[in-house]
Amino acid sequence: MRNLRLLTIGGYISYRAMFGWLNPYLYSLTVLLPSLTQLAFFVYLGRASHVANDSYYVAGNALLAAATPSLFGMAQTIAGERYSQTLALLVVSPANRTAVFLGRALPATANGILTSIWTFAIAAVLFQIAVPTRALLPLALAIVATSFSCVGLGLFNASLGLRWRETGVLGNLFLYLLLMFAGVNVPLDRLPSWLSTLSQGIPVTHGAKAARELVAGASFGHVVWLIAAEALVGAIYAAVGIVALRLFELEARRGATLEVA
Amino acid sequence: MRTRARRLGGVLLLGLRVHFKMLSRSPFDLWVVVASPLIFATLAHFLFADDRGQKMLVAALASGVMGIWSSTTASGAGALQMQRRLGVLELLVASPMPFWSVLLPISVAISAIGIYSLAVGLVYVRLFFGIAITIHSWAAFAVAVPATIGAIGSLGFLFASALVRFRSASMVGNLFEWPVWMLCGLLIPVSVLPGWLQPVSWVFAPTWGMAALRNATLGTGHPWADIGMCAALAAVYLVAGALSLRLFLDAARARATLSLAS
Amino acid sequence: MAVIEALDLCRTYRTTTGVLRRKRLEIEAVRGISFAVEEGELFGLLGPNGAGKTTTIKMLITLLLPSSGAARVLGLDVVADATELRQRIGYVFGGDRGLYERLSAHDNLRYFAELYGVAGKEQRRRIDEVLELVGLKGRERERVEGYSRGMRQRLHIARGILHDPQVVFLDEPTIGVDPVGARELRDTIGNLVASGKTVLLTTHYMFEADALCDRIAIIANGVIVGHGTPAELKASVGQGGVTEIEVFGVDDPIVERIRAIDGVTAVTVEEREQAQMLVVQTAFARELTQPVLAELNGVQVGRVTSREPTLEDAYVALVTTP
Repeated sequence: MRNLRLLTIGGYISYRAMFGWLNPYLYSLTVLLPSLTQLAFFVYLGRASHVANDSYYVAGNALLAAATPSLFGMAQTIAGERYSQTLALLVVSPANRTAVFLGRALPATANGILTSIWTFAIAAVLFQIAVPTRALLPLALAIVATSFSCVGLGLFNASLGLRWRETGVLGNLFLYLLLMFAGVNVPLDRLPSWLSTLSQGIPVTHGAKAARELVAGASFGHVVWLIAAEALVGAIYAAVGIVALRLFELEARRGATLEVA
Repeated sequence: MRTRARRLGGVLLLGLRVHFKMLSRSPFDLWVVVASPLIFATLAHFLFADDRGQKMLVAALASGVMGIWSSTTASGAGALQMQRRLGVLELLVASPMPFWSVLLPISVAISAIGIYSLAVGLVYVRLFFGIAITIHSWAAFAVAVPATIGAIGSLGFLFASALVRFRSASMVGNLFEWPVWMLCGLLIPVSVLPGWLQPVSWVFAPTWGMAALRNATLGTGHPWADIGMCAALAAVYLVAGALSLRLFLDAARARATLSLAS
Repeated sequence: MAVIEALDLCRTYRTTTGVLRRKRLEIEAVRGISFAVEEGELFGLLGPNGAGKTTTIKMLITLLLPSSGAARVLGLDVVADATELRQRIGYVFGGDRGLYERLSAHDNLRYFAELYGVAGKEQRRRIDEVLELVGLKGRERERVEGYSRGMRQRLHIARGILHDPQVVFLDEPTIGVDPVGARELRDTIGNLVASGKTVLLTTHYMFEADALCDRIAIIANGVIVGHGTPAELKASVGQGGVTEIEVFGVDDPIVERIRAIDGVTAVTVEEREQAQMLVVQTAFARELTQPVLAELNGVQVGRVTSREPTLEDAYVALVTTP
């Protein structure tokens, strides 16, 4: 019961602590607008390179939009603690680590879902992408799965943040890797086969593929395995992240690098 | 009069050197500039399969300019907030030198580390994709690089000055990253953009810097005219920025907003 | 002419609370402060946190505009003549921030020397001088991020006097510094005054103010509640001193003679098992241990403790009086 409280209430409060400064105006400016401009960039890049149509880029990048808030939201939970010097307090507490960090994952997931949906809606209007009505619910599901898997990656990124100070750098790197190799901006068949194989194991790849096919008219049954694969990828990254958190915490305590790293 | 000019020159040059040195020791800032060429040159490689040589060379330059812009939006817009966070802003304001002369070197230094970006981009396409680095007009290129950095740095100065009253200035700066990358004819030719957007790109220094670098490299267009535009825009940014700073400082002293931790 | 003059300085802050329904709050941080500092003085501004010390000092160093009132430093107005004034004053504040961590001390000093107008030819010499003065010579090439708090403080002072200002403002310079380091810092501050500079110091360490300052003003809630030399302040509270002497067998005639000593206000004898405690109360600022002990010649004496009125007593009395 205590862990459940840690998960929900604790997660909510700590999210507010880190992001309490984020009022609605700032939120739309710093999260919603950039995801849209990023999408626009790639739509036009797509047009310049004649590689795929607008629909390809809109669907893919809308799903990718969940990645930024998820990655940085989670990374901030460690980096922010270090900055406000509450990290040591957290480590010393008897709270169940898994519950604490998973608790922070919940608001981050919600954030990612919101960003994705918003980006998709606006982009579809701007670039005149017709989405079949029956695809809307499965699309939402794909977005939830993708957001979850991005948060899983975010958890992993956050755990690395316990070991190395520069969480901003790592988060940025992961984002760029997704940008390049999740089949969102470069169709997987244009990548060398070893790379496209690796792509199967990263977030967004399957979710974006599901979204693209749904927009093209595929049925839910057709994409359900893609959505499941996306969720599975997320679960694996989350699990690795939680294990890594414990490991790095132990190491930080041994090597006195908690406050400094 | 002469000593004043010499003092100003001293502050500008030393400030540039000191802040460039500091930024070169910051993993985050270095990453910001080094990532761009690696990512976007690679993207270009996968997307632009035909006419490799020229397209990749231009892509290398483009990704370099994107790197300069990256640093400017990531750090430049929030330059004053950073000084505030370091606890140094008050010392800078309390100095007898005019504040614009203290801020300008910081802004230019932030854009100047983008030179690593250009260098990495060119080395990267040379080593990994075997693209020959052939530059048509070395003179124009050699001038275009500092002109681009100076112009973008001045735009960063304007950002910092105009956004200084916002604690989340660097966030606002980040807003301009993708749009400018998209609009300024870097990786995406301006012709692909909707007609009404094209004139918007003329206001931003990266457009002209990129044009200068591209034309100097390929031997097309008028690189010296582009360099001239860079200089003209820089002058406009500087004046606007200095004015904005004046307003801010007077207001900050009246409203005690100088030292609030961001 | 006074070097620093504050004339009825006031400073109000306006803040807003709430996100959707914004409320305006007005906080009067400084509510009419006046004082004057003469040349060569070490003047202390003493007060609890939030009293208005930092606000006052910032008004004097041209970083804040007063809401009302005026201030002059070296005859220059802090508002109208700010730029000219900045050349002639130095500002040092306590804490970890305020330096470029990734640069060495030398680079930091070089930068600020340039900013604060130290002539190019003079810079190297001057940097060496200040490093010597604050005791950081030999460590100037190390990055500041590796410095201890005490070293940073000394570097702060070095930076503050680089351009040889006539007036130096120190805002809580020893805060968070260990006792040994703090003592060295105080010596450095003392040297500044000895070299002819005028120093205004804010602090909430009593003994520091007592030991260093020629004159002190005590601030609480934005107004000055007491001012004068440390001795005057202690006197103003009207407390005497207490000397406790452990004795083994003292009789009444001796007690009477002690009572008669000039400056002794009261004597009591407390029985303590084997011994007695002679409690002698003395008038303010009278050192009477020797005369009392002289009267006790022949009596076995144990421990002698003297409790003098401290500045802290004066401060607490002044600050907590409504």
